Amino acid sequence: MTRKLPDYANDESRFQTSRSTLFVDRLMTVFIKLGGVLVTTSVLGIFAFILIQIWPLFAPARIEEIKSVQLPQTPFALLGIDEWGALPFLVEPDGRMLTVDGETGEISEKNIDFGTPMKITAATLNKREQKIIVGTDDGRFSIISPNYTSIESDGSQIIKIDPQAEAAIPLGLPNVPIEDIAYGDSGTSKLVVVLQSIDGKPHLSAAVFKRKKTLMGFGKEQRVGTYDPTPLISGRPTKILVPGSGDSVLIITDDGRVHYLAVSENGFELRQTFTPFEDLPDRHIKTAAFIFGDVSISFASNSGANRVFSLYYPKGRDQRAFGLTHRFPDLGTGPTFLISTLRNKAFLLGGGSELSLRYSTTDSIRWQEKMPYNVVNAAISGKYHRLVVLDGTNRLHFFKIHDPHSDSSWKALFSKVWYEGAPEPSWEWQSTGGSDDFEPKYSLVPLIFGTIKGTFYAMMFAIPIALLAALYTSQFLDPCFRSVVKPTMEIMASLPSVVLGFLAAIYIAPLIEDQIPSLLLVAVGLPIMAAITGLVWSRLPIQTRQWIHPGWEWIVFLPLLLGSGWILWSLGPRLEAACFLVTDSSTGLKSADFRAWWPIVTGTGFDQRNSLVVGFMMGFAVIPIIFTIAEDALSNVPTSLITASMACGASRWQTATRIVLPTASSGIFSALMIGLGRAVGETMIVVMATGNTPIMEWNIFSGMRTLSANIAVELSEAPHHSTLYRTLFLGALLLFMLTFAVNTVAEILRHRLRAKFKTV
Amino acid sequence: MPAVLSEPVSSDFPTTVNTSTDGRPDFISIQNFSFFYGAKQALFDISMDIPERQVTAFIGPSGCGKSTLLRNLNRMNELIDGIRHTGDIVIHGHSIYDPLIEVISLRKRVGMVFQKSNPFPKSIYENVVYPLRVAGQKTKTILDETVERSLKGAALWDEVKDRLHESALSLSGGQMQRLCIARAIANRPEILLMDEPCSALDPVATVKVEELIQELKSQFTIVIVTHNMQQATRCSDKTAFFYLGRLVEFADTQKIFANPSNKQTEDYITGRFG
Ligand SMILES: Nc1ncnc2c1ncn2[C@@H]1O[C@H](COP(=O)(O)OP(=O)(O)OP(=O)(O)O)[C@@H](O)[C@H]1O
Ligand SMILES: [Mg+2]
Repeated sequence: MTRKLPDYANDESRFQTSRSTLFVDRLMTVFIKLGGVLVTTSVLGIFAFILIQIWPLFAPARIEEIKSVQLPQTPFALLGIDEWGALPFLVEPDGRMLTVDGETGEISEKNIDFGTPMKITAATLNKREQKIIVGTDDGRFSIISPNYTSIESDGSQIIKIDPQAEAAIPLGLPNVPIEDIAYGDSGTSKLVVVLQSIDGKPHLSAAVFKRKKTLMGFGKEQRVGTYDPTPLISGRPTKILVPGSGDSVLIITDDGRVHYLAVSENGFELRQTFTPFEDLPDRHIKTAAFIFGDVSISFASNSGANRVFSLYYPKGRDQRAFGLTHRFPDLGTGPTFLISTLRNKAFLLGGGSELSLRYSTTDSIRWQEKMPYNVVNAAISGKYHRLVVLDGTNRLHFFKIHDPHSDSSWKALFSKVWYEGAPEPSWEWQSTGGSDDFEPKYSLVPLIFGTIKGTFYAMMFAIPIALLAALYTSQFLDPCFRSVVKPTMEIMASLPSVVLGFLAAIYIAPLIEDQIPSLLLVAVGLPIMAAITGLVWSRLPIQTRQWIHPGWEWIVFLPLLLGSGWILWSLGPRLEAACFLVTDSSTGLKSADFRAWWPIVTGTGFDQRNSLVVGFMMGFAVIPIIFTIAEDALSNVPTSLITASMACGASRWQTATRIVLPTASSGIFSALMIGLGRAVGETMIVVMATGNTPIMEWNIFSGMRTLSANIAVELSEAPHHSTLYRTLFLGALLLFMLTFAVNTVAEILRHRLRAKFKTV
Repeated sequence: MPAVLSEPVSSDFPTTVNTSTDGRPDFISIQNFSFFYGAKQALFDISMDIPERQVTAFIGPSGCGKSTLLRNLNRMNELIDGIRHTGDIVIHGHSIYDPLIEVISLRKRVGMVFQKSNPFPKSIYENVVYPLRVAGQKTKTILDETVERSLKGAALWDEVKDRLHESALSLSGGQMQRLCIARAIANRPEILLMDEPCSALDPVATVKVEELIQELKSQFTIVIVTHNMQQATRCSDKTAFFYLGRLVEFADTQKIFANPSNKQTEDYITGRFG
């Protein structure tokens, strides 16, 4: 049977495109577009998510009035509030205590039982201990415990107060009213200082009490002495402050000076006198308060200037002194009160109708507003979420504070900050501390520095090795080895970095630690040896060189270099004995120890897990990437160019450096950038192979903490939506932007290079 | 890596400079030369003498081995893996395969223009001076003078003299080929190998190159591969006809085209081939 052949010549369908071809074409176009859009949206989505996470870090505080309650028209000696902000209390001079329920606005009154009736002339709050200390008109003081209790019932919390007063103790001049009182209690020692005046002359008295710590708790309290610090100061005291430790007293005098007296063996000694507003026309200190932690004091002058002084060891001194650490903008009017919080380094300054919430660490104003009334006094709850303000008409206003990230700001994250106890402003990262009054340090600068440092050392190690290896493999090595070397390197690239990190920490770090001189010798000596070998080789007569087929030279060089490397390595201890001698200060014996020598000579530390180890291991992770991409780029240089160069009488080396390298430069550049991106984002090796110390020094023998390692290390300890949590997200965003910037710049440069060296 | 840090001077190819006006008839002597790409034999037992300061044309159908033989004259084929040869090529009494000779010094004496133009991704100027640069020449005046002379020699000077520092890749295909010729003659080699130098050129440029060949003949020994019979008659003194890797006929150009002694040759040059 014969089949009829189709008549192609007259078949019009040969000019048509089949429906299925068109369908597949359109489908794939839509599919690819969709994929592209999806990828772009998800990247943007991640970006948006991170932005939403970090946004609150830069938001100001929000304070809203909830309600206000009119109080009776009596003067009040004191305003305080409980931890939960539910039941503020006011103490009247006659010893009655008024409480105002924050929910219902109900006012109730209680009499504090002092035993004998007395009139309160001065009062202070010890917020940390939840104590009220009052001074009376007859020269006595008493300590009152408010005794807050919180009862849960039906899911709502009822706060009760039951104030108990200790027996009043006479202090200072009898029957003279106490004008100001300050109190500090460290548990084992207590200091009470009172200010009185007789015939217009001020008189200070201080009593020190001690308690023995026993197994059963604290023993009985004993007064160990009563002192009169007046002779130590000059000027008329207007206000006294005692820190919670009770070991010193600060006396502010009417000439604007502050006298810092420390409790000593028998009485007081004057440590320091300073004038917070020395350079201003009005030096008078209107009000002052310790900031939470009792290391810093915020002062406000009569005119509304506001400065914070902190205790620290000034450079070269062995005794702590107060120094100006933070300046704030003027309040704009004369202040009437300054109160600090029990949660953070914030304080509230009020005067006239202005209220200003400020944060000491970052010199920032979290919130400031003009109230429609005059503010007289205020109290902030222990949880830093409620505020009560008493106005000039005895109306008590209740506010809600929403300021979860008071300790964060641009300045906190990126500028030098003067932290408490530090002798100068610095960039620090320390997110958690041992005590409640710890000042968190959230500067990202040391982490950015660490990232750059780690990347720098890794690239310093990786770039020369990877690029020279790629050049050698693509241009000089016999092709039959190339097909072995490349897959091997690709396998190396797929080594999990946690394995490399583990190796670095467990094996390399201890190995390198006491072999630094050997390493130095090898690092310097091996390239020199290689160059010498090459020089000697090229000077050898051609008959000798003929023995080795081109591309097989490594058979001679490798054993030679390995041998000399081994010799150099074993010469290390000799170098150490010759150059790195340290003298033991106690015995006077000299010993060779690089680890001890380095800190002495350079003044920088020596850690076992240091940048050298990281650079080495991270280099290992980066080398295969750079090598593979660069080798591809070099091998892809058209043979016609190489042939042309050779025909012009160029040597292999000349061809490689003058023609191949420039032509492949855009590819090599990509290789470097991809390697850089890997080094910047590398996490596990850095986490495992360094001490993760967020320090800022280039010292190769110290560690670092990178942005990525920081996230890995801290995320598990960061409470959801805390400042630390959001700061970690900011670190992630920085990483994101860093890689984005690197890639963009790389892409632009690569295009330029490619345009410049494009081949026909 | 360190293998070629510097070049020794001792193993240069011996000088071939001939001070007498007569050209030596056996300047390049190919002796029983066979060549293999791996298992594939491309040239079969070729023997011929190429005279000095004359133009020798290689003709023959595509794939017959003209380029292969040409590339062997400066050992360019050695860049290919798995090649092998038997027999010898002797230039002025010295074997080019002498193990004591650096191949680089051979290539400096034997310049080459390739079938496909291959300018470097550099400026026009840098392309021309490249052979001088790799030879260590740094004097600016010499380089400038070379550029002008070579570009004039390659009939390109007028077209590019104002844009010497632009990329060579901005030139047209024909200009690129002339640039490659300029580059090949820049360092004044003694022998110039040209593999179909005019295949990408327009008739005007072709004429220029042919004139150039005539000029260069007084200084260089030229071997040219061409598919253009007119070109072979116009500019060559001797012609070799290859077929399937064998040298079929080698004689004075006039004789080959007027009176070929071989039937295959006749068929080829009269276009009755195949
Ligand atoms: N690199 C190579 N590897 C293997 N075989 C090759 C290679 N180059 C050329 N050949 C083969 O050698 C033979 C001769 O090739 P050659 O390039 O010398 O021919 P030609 O005469 O120059 O042809 P054309 O006129 O088309 O340029 C051809 O059969 C070709 O397939
Ligand atoms: Mg050819």
